[in-house]
Amino acid sequence: MSKGFASNYRIVLIAGLVLLSFAGLGSRLVWLHVIDRDQLLSYVQKARRQIITSYARRGDITDVRGAVLATSHSLIVLGVDPQSERPEDRAKWSKLAQLLGMNLADVEPIMTTRYRSGATRTAGSTGPGLAPIYRISVGPSPAAAPAADPASDDDSETVLDDPDPQGKSPIRWAKLSDEVTEPAYADILKLGISGVYGNRVYRRTYPGNTVAAHLIGYVNRKEAPVTGIEFFADFYLRGHNGWVESEKDGHQRELAQFRTREVPAADGYTVVLSLDATVQHIAEAELQAIAERYQPEKATIIVSDPRTGFILAMANYPTFNLNEYNDLRGADERKMRNVAVADMYEPGSVFKIVAASGALDAGIVTPATTFDCTLEKVDYKGRPRNLPREDASDHFTHPLSVAEIIAKSSNKGAAQLAMRLGDERFYGYARGFGFGEPTGFPVGGEPKARVFSLYVPPPSRWDGLTITRMPMGQSVAATPLQMHEAMSVIASGGVLLKPQIVKQVRDTAGEIVYRFDRVEVRRVISERTARTMAHLLEAVASAQGTAKEAEVPGYEVAGKTGTAQKVNPDGHGYSEHHHVASFVGFLPAGNPQVAISVIVDDADARTPGGVAYGRVVAAPAFKHVAEQLISYLDIRPPLARATSVLALQGGRP
Amino acid sequence: MKAANHAFVNHMLVYTLVAISLTGGIGVSSVWMRHEISVTANTNKALEARISQVERLAQQTSTWVAEEQDVTALLRRNAEWHLGMVPPREDQVVRMSEDPVIHLASKRDRGLFRGGIEAVSFRVALQR
Repeated sequence: MSKGFASNYRIVLIAGLVLLSFAGLGSRLVWLHVIDRDQLLSYVQKARRQIITSYARRGDITDVRGAVLATSHSLIVLGVDPQSERPEDRAKWSKLAQLLGMNLADVEPIMTTRYRSGATRTAGSTGPGLAPIYRISVGPSPAAAPAADPASDDDSETVLDDPDPQGKSPIRWAKLSDEVTEPAYADILKLGISGVYGNRVYRRTYPGNTVAAHLIGYVNRKEAPVTGIEFFADFYLRGHNGWVESEKDGHQRELAQFRTREVPAADGYTVVLSLDATVQHIAEAELQAIAERYQPEKATIIVSDPRTGFILAMANYPTFNLNEYNDLRGADERKMRNVAVADMYEPGSVFKIVAASGALDAGIVTPATTFDCTLEKVDYKGRPRNLPREDASDHFTHPLSVAEIIAKSSNKGAAQLAMRLGDERFYGYARGFGFGEPTGFPVGGEPKARVFSLYVPPPSRWDGLTITRMPMGQSVAATPLQMHEAMSVIASGGVLLKPQIVKQVRDTAGEIVYRFDRVEVRRVISERTARTMAHLLEAVASAQGTAKEAEVPGYEVAGKTGTAQKVNPDGHGYSEHHHVASFVGFLPAGNPQVAISVIVDDADARTPGGVAYGRVVAAPAFKHVAEQLISYLDIRPPLARATSVLALQGGRP
Repeated sequence: MKAANHAFVNHMLVYTLVAISLTGGIGVSSVWMRHEISVTANTNKALEARISQVERLAQQTSTWVAEEQDVTALLRRNAEWHLGMVPPREDQVVRMSEDPVIHLASKRDRGLFRGGIEAVSFRVALQR
């Protein structure tokens, strides 16, 4: 038998080599995996591990019917890595410029500038007037992507590499445009220009521009909510970012198979407001008409559902465009002020509802009780008190009943009603109606409680004239919203309701997460007194009252005019030439469905006669808004009920 | 003695080759498996990217729709396109307490007989 190849010598040699090879491999593996493990792992971690953040989309703000008032949509911040420039791509630059809406002359320098000397790592900004940006998950970058992720700083115009020995920093990403839409980006990618790529971002947009600007608020460029619902409901709106822990290859591309932990982003919830965009538009259009006609200093219209306290519209003049909030500079910043909530004014005659309601509720007068409104002085607490003057046009020759005091807005009558009540009870009713305390309205920058207490002082701080002046709306101050809520007390049947603007919070699937319901603050007057007051206030908007201009044919309108003199700029006395005109009311008086306040500040200059009376400036606006709401909200007149009864009895509707 | 040595060496060689083959097979399998994992992961990633792209496009479209549904934009379109749409006046509104469908149906039916019914005759077949 031949030994063949397998001689002892050769077999031992081969076996030895094989064993030696295994031993070598084994010892190298031990070296790599045991001895050098930590060091090598740190290299790998540093070179390959990455955490990719996926940014949550901020939730929408919608009106009560689902119309979007604020939303976030995807845009692409497009840039170029000039180091990747290829000569063959130059022919495509003109098409790129066309897609970006730029001139070729503007694009070329960005594409060709490869270095920047003595520069910091980032520079520049997105420019004024741009809406805030929210980054979302960074998509796959081209192979030539720079080490630095441009999305890490959206405000940057450029991303630079570390400077070379000559002090020049290579530009690795230079911004071309930050408003590229998805379809345009797809077209740009089709051009196949090397080094041109973008990063997707979320940008906050307000489709209505100026609609409810003071209520919605805005998010600034640092992604921080500043005012309005954006600020108040930020907890629900902002969502939570997610992240992925994974590895990347040498071209900075994610190796999806090495994902170890993955937390998905949770998009923000949708906040549904009680606001109705159409009602808001009606109010804003009316304000615009007032502004064009009278050029007031400021004005506001508030519309609410008095049965629930939910706000349907809150319009302010002046106003601003939410998408261009950053353009407001200096004096223009006052346009952001929510006049309805933040500004205090002397309400004037509208405040007479407090004395009248209080006296009726306390049972010390009836609508038929009469007062002599020709008196100059009345004894009160053992001292004669001067009664306020009536308006120049009012000369009452006979004693006025309580009903007439309200309808004709008698200052002397209101003062005597308050004196019948007494300091403490009158003050108690004023506080009961919500004056002297914040309403708790969540947006708009309502003054603090101590500010309110200064403007509605307790009887211990009253002087001898306060009991005669406060009932007619002087020596007291309130916000337009407070005055609106006080009138709503009568409309709601005597209950003070908390004014609310947020109706629901919905998750991304549309399920209701939180629901805001009617909140009763307190009962102020009895339901019977409220009904009586509503009936008495109907006379105001009639031929017998001070505001026939607010009358809506076929409907019972209840309301009260106000013409408050403004305090002189030096703080002494009242001006004869500057007034706050108002009309605050509701309809239908017998079954209130909507409360409307129109308050116009300093419209005297353009008003015929030079005095901006509530009946001249505010009452017609009230009527115009009411007429539109009747159609839009299908508010039916009381006559409709009679017609229905007639129809049931065999009549024809 | 030599035969026994040769047999041992042959066995060792065979077993070594078998072990190498098995190890190699396992290695190739694990490489193939990891490749498949990689392909699946990348497919999932691509799908995720596609889904998010579609969502972004949907959001973009929703934003455009919202912008066009704004009351001011609608009024502008009404003027631009000369549509002439105006809100109804109160005197044009008929308020009904009944179901409008029934009301409209009865209104139509009344129209059918507005000309009056002169004569209606029925032929009756009598069975004897």
